[in-house]
Amino acid sequence: MNVRSQIAMVFHLDKCIGCHTCSIACKNVWTDRKGAEYMWWNNVETKPGTGFPTAWEDQEKYNGGWELHNGELRLKSTSKTKTVLNIFHHPNMPTMDDYYEPWTYDYQNLFNAPEGPDQPTAVPISTVTGELINIKAGPNWDDDLGGSKIYAANDPNLDGLTAEQQNQLSAVERLVFFYFPRICNHCLNPACVAACPSGAIYKRGEDGIVLIDQNRCRGWRACVPACPYKKVYFNWHTGKSEKCILCYPRLETGQAPACFHSCVGRIRYLGVLLYDASKIEEVGKMPADELIEAQREMILDPHDPEVIAAARANGVHDSVIESAQMSPVYKFVKVWKIALPPHIEYRTLPMLFYVPPMAPVMSERHNGPVRNIGENDNLFHEIDEARVPMKFLANLFGGGHEAKVRYALRKQKAVRWYRRSLTVGDVTKELADRILAEAGSTREEAEAIYRLTSLCTFDERFVIPPMHREEAIEMMEDPLEHKQNVGFGFLTGPKRGL
Amino acid sequence: MRSQGAGWFTRITQGMGIAALLWCVTPATVQAQEAADFFRQNCVSCHTIGGGRLTGPDLKNVEGQQDREWLVRFMMNPQAVVNQGDPYAQKLVEEARGVVMPQIVGMTRERAESLLDLIAAESKLESSQFGGTAISDAPFTPEEISQGRRLFLGEQRLANGGPPCISCHTAKHLGGLSGGRLGPDLSRVYERLEGRKNLAAWLGAPATAVMAPIFKKHSIKQEEVLALVAYLEDQTAKGGEDMSVGGLTFLLIGLGGSGLALVAFDLAWRRRFRSARKELVLKSTGRGEEL
Repeated sequence: MNVRSQIAMVFHLDKCIGCHTCSIACKNVWTDRKGAEYMWWNNVETKPGTGFPTAWEDQEKYNGGWELHNGELRLKSTSKTKTVLNIFHHPNMPTMDDYYEPWTYDYQNLFNAPEGPDQPTAVPISTVTGELINIKAGPNWDDDLGGSKIYAANDPNLDGLTAEQQNQLSAVERLVFFYFPRICNHCLNPACVAACPSGAIYKRGEDGIVLIDQNRCRGWRACVPACPYKKVYFNWHTGKSEKCILCYPRLETGQAPACFHSCVGRIRYLGVLLYDASKIEEVGKMPADELIEAQREMILDPHDPEVIAAARANGVHDSVIESAQMSPVYKFVKVWKIALPPHIEYRTLPMLFYVPPMAPVMSERHNGPVRNIGENDNLFHEIDEARVPMKFLANLFGGGHEAKVRYALRKQKAVRWYRRSLTVGDVTKELADRILAEAGSTREEAEAIYRLTSLCTFDERFVIPPMHREEAIEMMEDPLEHKQNVGFGFLTGPKRGL
Repeated sequence: MRSQGAGWFTRITQGMGIAALLWCVTPATVQAQEAADFFRQNCVSCHTIGGGRLTGPDLKNVEGQQDREWLVRFMMNPQAVVNQGDPYAQKLVEEARGVVMPQIVGMTRERAESLLDLIAAESKLESSQFGGTAISDAPFTPEEISQGRRLFLGEQRLANGGPPCISCHTAKHLGGLSGGRLGPDLSRVYERLEGRKNLAAWLGAPATAVMAPIFKKHSIKQEEVLALVAYLEDQTAKGGEDMSVGGLTFLLIGLGGSGLALVAFDLAWRRRFRSARKELVLKSTGRGEEL
């Protein structure tokens, strides 16, 4: 057992209101620079929709992530041979059009326009060419089903849905969408790290944050096609790749990352997970339908004395272990099993988990009062009759398999029944208990899920471990190395000590 | 910094002084050896001592024809003397059918003097080491010609490691894109240099600015020279027009090759990523560019 710690995340999609505050917080802190205009380390997508860059989930096109080949894991986009063959042209590179051509507006025109019969306007100007542009794409171009005939209709997650199901997604009175905020998943088996020919990308040993060393990056861009989530971006100004750094300077000073901190819907949770790093390869090679369970198996119980001992032996600090024991992520992912990794079939083992969204209440009217659809005029309809087809959610969060998604949704719904029985009282306790039992839950668990979902405080959402940078640094460098050294201007070191 | 720089300067001038001193006290035999080497590297392609004229005149007893001062002046800058309208220099140019002796790199007054000493000494000998290449008038055998061709093409390497002729020169009947374009076409070089003896002397120590530095280090061996002469003589004997690939053919081959390369690249990367968004827009609206 090779126990390591990882800062992991949960996004509770049932709470996301799609306000993009997280994106703006991130943009203002990190990517408001030349060459980084088009980068959205955090972005919010509308589902169904094609997201950013357009149709990034279509790995037939983008060739991101890993694939199983004769029982071995292999990058889809590159290999040692392909790196040499494609040295002048990477055939899987997204084009600028698939992100968008970044632009600004000619604000000066508002002040300097010559007098005329019309109000002056600020016309869009490309920040790449400086010319006027006709904007054809943007970072959230398909937001709230904008252009849905083009974008939502071509969501790669619609794969496997019947034509009727697909049509109903946009039918009048059935229309549905939800939001899907995304940052770097800080994967356990990151494809970007594996693809980098310069060895510039690394997964930080103490907390699993995946970072690009800007001094070692040589701008080969192999990481850009390799990441199946398209969360590595190439800065055209510096000639180096950049990605989400999980605001590690904030984490190291005990603050939540900017996008977490600013989240209006409080959908984001962050905490430490202890996992068995020796299992990464084995889990990565599991059959697709066992991946989610296998990844859960990797995550270890931070209360288990054996795990604690192994963690200590591996240099994980006691305070980090304590933090792992309070981690909200551990509860969502491992205890309650209602948070699921996005697209586990890419086999990168993402460490950002999503609580799948409950679809809106469905109702219908036939020449009379509005009725809720479902068994016995249920207020909370059966999840399989939800507006969002189960298959769609399964493609997103279940690696194409419905069982885990159904389990997560049933448990969430059971919590609603249980709370309804307490607060409104039109549901009998017996019925609530029956539904809880059917969902594999108990009153205590439902209460805990409810509290962490609805009443969670700042400190319950973000259980940030002390980062112990001083210890992490000591692994690489001797802090006393420069003790006798002086700065520029003296030829001999000063005498110190007795 | 300043004093340091001055120090360097002093040291360099001192060094130069010592070098000059060494030069003065160098024993005469060493000087003579040096002059002989210089002669072999720079002069034998056009001159012999007692071997008859090549491109330039036979230098045996040259001091009997002109005084030493004139000769030194001519050796240091032949073109200038010719331009001054010197009648003897004009006569030499005429004899060489318009070829003016090139200015030799490294020809100083001292060196010219030592060369004249060398010529004077060699002139007294029965047969000088610079008597020119003895080359028979017998027709070359087909084996010699084909060996020459192989040497020319680089199929057989030059023994001392010199580059084969084809890397810079072309000739007739080579096929394909023929040879290099840096140096002149050698199809008629036998004719231009007027015979075996001149050609052999030239190949013995090529004297042009481009060839000299290369072949000084990697001289062509005597038997290789003969084979090359045989080949080049055969080229002239075969006659016919200079046949090299014309500019247009070259352009067409280049264009065709580039086109084929592009097609090959397109095939090799036929599954490359082109565009996701444009394709979606085109598929859904039939108007790729407008949305």
